[in-house]
Amino acid sequence: MGRLRVQLTVLLAMLGLLVAAWGATIFLGARNGEVSTESQQFEVGRFDELRRAAADFRGRVVDAVAHQRDYLLTGDLRSKEEFRAACHQAEEHLALVRTLAKPWPSLTPMIERIDAAYAGWERQAIGEVGIRDHQGIGAVMLVVGRGVTRARLTETRSHQASFDQVLADLQVTAARQQRSTYRDTQRLALDAAVMILATVTLIFFYLRRAVGAPAAALRSASSRLAGGDLTTPIELAVPNELGAVAADLEVMRRRLEGRIEGLIRLRDLSAQVVGATSLQGLCDAALAGLGREVGAAGAALGAIDRDGRLRLRALSGFDHPGVAERIVAAHHELCAFLALKELLAGQVVGIGDIETAPKPEAVAELASVMGVRAMALVPLVSRGSFVGLLALFWEHPHQLDQEQEALLGLAGNHIAGALAAALRYEEVERAAGEARAVFYAIADGVLLTDPAGRVTAMNHALEMLGGWTEADVQGMPYAEVLPVVDERGTRIPPEARPLAKAIATGEPASDQGYGVDLVTRDGRRVPVAVSSAPILDPRGMVMGGVDVVRDVSREREIDEVKSALISTVSHELRTPLTLIHGFAELLVLRDMPVERRRAAAEEILEASRRLARLIDDLLSVSRMESGRLVLDPRPLDLGGLVERTLSPFRAMAARHNIRAEIPGGLPVIWGDPDKLEQILTNLVGNAIKYSPSGGDVVVSVSVDDDEVRVSVRDQGIGMSPRDMGQLFEKFYRVDRDEVRRAGGTGLGLYITRRLVEMHGGRIWAESWTGAGSVFSFTLPGRSELAGEGRR
Amino acid sequence: MKLLIADDEPAVRALVRVTLEDDDYRILEAADGVEALQKIRDEHPSLVLLDIMMPGMNGLEVCRIVKSDPTTSGTVVVMLTAQAQQRDRDRGLAAGADVYFTKPFSPLALLDLVARVRQAQPDRSRRF
Repeated sequence: MGRLRVQLTVLLAMLGLLVAAWGATIFLGARNGEVSTESQQFEVGRFDELRRAAADFRGRVVDAVAHQRDYLLTGDLRSKEEFRAACHQAEEHLALVRTLAKPWPSLTPMIERIDAAYAGWERQAIGEVGIRDHQGIGAVMLVVGRGVTRARLTETRSHQASFDQVLADLQVTAARQQRSTYRDTQRLALDAAVMILATVTLIFFYLRRAVGAPAAALRSASSRLAGGDLTTPIELAVPNELGAVAADLEVMRRRLEGRIEGLIRLRDLSAQVVGATSLQGLCDAALAGLGREVGAAGAALGAIDRDGRLRLRALSGFDHPGVAERIVAAHHELCAFLALKELLAGQVVGIGDIETAPKPEAVAELASVMGVRAMALVPLVSRGSFVGLLALFWEHPHQLDQEQEALLGLAGNHIAGALAAALRYEEVERAAGEARAVFYAIADGVLLTDPAGRVTAMNHALEMLGGWTEADVQGMPYAEVLPVVDERGTRIPPEARPLAKAIATGEPASDQGYGVDLVTRDGRRVPVAVSSAPILDPRGMVMGGVDVVRDVSREREIDEVKSALISTVSHELRTPLTLIHGFAELLVLRDMPVERRRAAAEEILEASRRLARLIDDLLSVSRMESGRLVLDPRPLDLGGLVERTLSPFRAMAARHNIRAEIPGGLPVIWGDPDKLEQILTNLVGNAIKYSPSGGDVVVSVSVDDDEVRVSVRDQGIGMSPRDMGQLFEKFYRVDRDEVRRAGGTGLGLYITRRLVEMHGGRIWAESWTGAGSVFSFTLPGRSELAGEGRR
Repeated sequence: MKLLIADDEPAVRALVRVTLEDDDYRILEAADGVEALQKIRDEHPSLVLLDIMMPGMNGLEVCRIVKSDPTTSGTVVVMLTAQAQQRDRDRGLAAGADVYFTKPFSPLALLDLVARVRQAQPDRSRRF
């Protein structure tokens, strides 16, 4: 039984006793009051009776005196009778008075004195009556005159008066006595009430001290606990049950505080590991968080990689180099040594002392290199799958206690989550990096927008194409960045563009065919093909759009070139064909003189040759343009090559003076002799062809610093600057009759230029109308041969 | 009867000349559009054979000018061209050409055509 209960019981018992006493007091007081009032009431009644009796007595005495006197004076017998009756009655009344006055013994002598005095008077009076009877009135008068009787009467009356006085005093005393009884009772009740009040106050103060204040303290302590304040100790030094409750609360607080501290440590660890985005950061955080708790000096983190193998990903706390490599090298031995089964079951495995544990040689060696004596392996299991392994290392033997094991197990869950997240992050980063690399490296222009069509990203190809930079266009409506017009130059409204359709429908869209031009930042028009696709989130909601803008100017150019080529080629083919057909038909269907027939046949022959040349040249161009024409370079003697090339011309061209000017000591040139011969043949052939009236044709070779220059000079018809504009382009021929008459294909100089360029040289022409032309080309002095197709 | 052959290719002009020279035609030659127009205005040939792709002014332009000039609009214009596509043919006829010949052409068919033109225009031929 607790003290509080005892104290309370005692207090309540005291209070009960007091209340009982109070009640008794009131009860007894009331009863006393009642009793005394009753007796006093009775006494007062007696007093009244007594006074009435005394008054009656006095009245009868007065009657007796009156009747006696009447008789004495008159001798009336009736008076005498009445006198006797009055006397008798007076005696009776006096007897009554005597009886009534019995309770007051002090009255008795007075009554005796009254009685004696009255008795004296009565005898005298009776004596006088007798005298009257016997002696007559005179005698009586004499006797009366002596005044004895009157004296007796006076005496009686005096006694009577003092009796009345005493009686009145008695009555006053009685009334006084009654009042004092009431007062006594009142006082008693008052005293009792004061005591009860005092006791109650005492109890109140006691309760307040022993119960109220501790209870309030307990209340505030419990609300602190409820409010989460676990740091303020609960102290309540009262030796009762409340004190015990406080002590229990304090124990509870300490336990909670300990547990919260543990949780906080876990939380801190969790925050650190969750914050780590790299596996090394995660490993460092795990060591920083757990190492302090369990005293570990190093940590290693392994993760299950894509092919399902556990791979060491991070190492913390080991400064000396080569540890990671050694761990990787000892992978198989380690796997055999570590209790992987238990780990896979999700249990923390501690190896308290590696030295005493049975182990393969490689593991022992590794442990000594790492300088570790004990280790703990924490399996990292996230959402039911084994994602990795955290190993903690101690430099000294270390047995995990139960608490540490539990802590490691719990921490393992957090680290596993963080590891899974970090691995996913790594994966996402890699994928994002790949996507970014593709995005920026792709040759077509790509632009990303949000669902409202505002630009979020733009790749380098589109920056080049449109003239904007990615930073300029962030958040701009894409239709402003990439305005698109149709063939007539009318701006295509944004809502009619593929991206708007793709965003609206969630389906890819594209411009149909060609015919759309992009207007660049500086106002140029670039033919483009645009295709668009929505970017969808996993639920299929449109997150934005992607516009792929391909510069098709090359395609369009190629298209135009191709159709122009076909048109030109067909025209060029038709002309000799017309001649062959026409002259052949004339030969077949018409009679003509022999010389005409011969002329016609010659025309046919020449047209056929022209056709053959044209076809050869076309094939050469085609081979060059498709890159199939390759050089076969070798060191060669340029002087010899020039001479070799010129000799057939010398034989044919009788009207021309063909000569070569070749200085001595030419460097050895690298080149393809056949192609160089073709170049020279073309140039010399042109020189002869366009100098119909003959003259000099001079091939000169000179050496500049690092290149050799070959020039072919003629004294022919020459060209105006206007004519020379597209001299080296395909199918270009100077618009002059002489040129037409010479019957070229329009491909010779083009082929020549390409061949020179393939050798890494340049070609150009200088000319004056009517004064001849000089065509020059260079060859690099060293073996700087360009690859095929270089322009 | 005077004829004009306008072609920048001398061999084609030679073919036309060889084809027609035996038949009492006077054959004029022009190597480009400007020359052809000049000769049409000066010589008033009854028939003009016009190549299209000629330096300076092309055959279609020459044809359009000839046909829009009242003094020359009576000239029979024969387009003689290597441009054989229907589109080219339509363009030639739209320019006012009377006949569209494509290369390679048959000299005898040309001869036949010229003969028909001569029959259709006896007055003009007698005048010259």
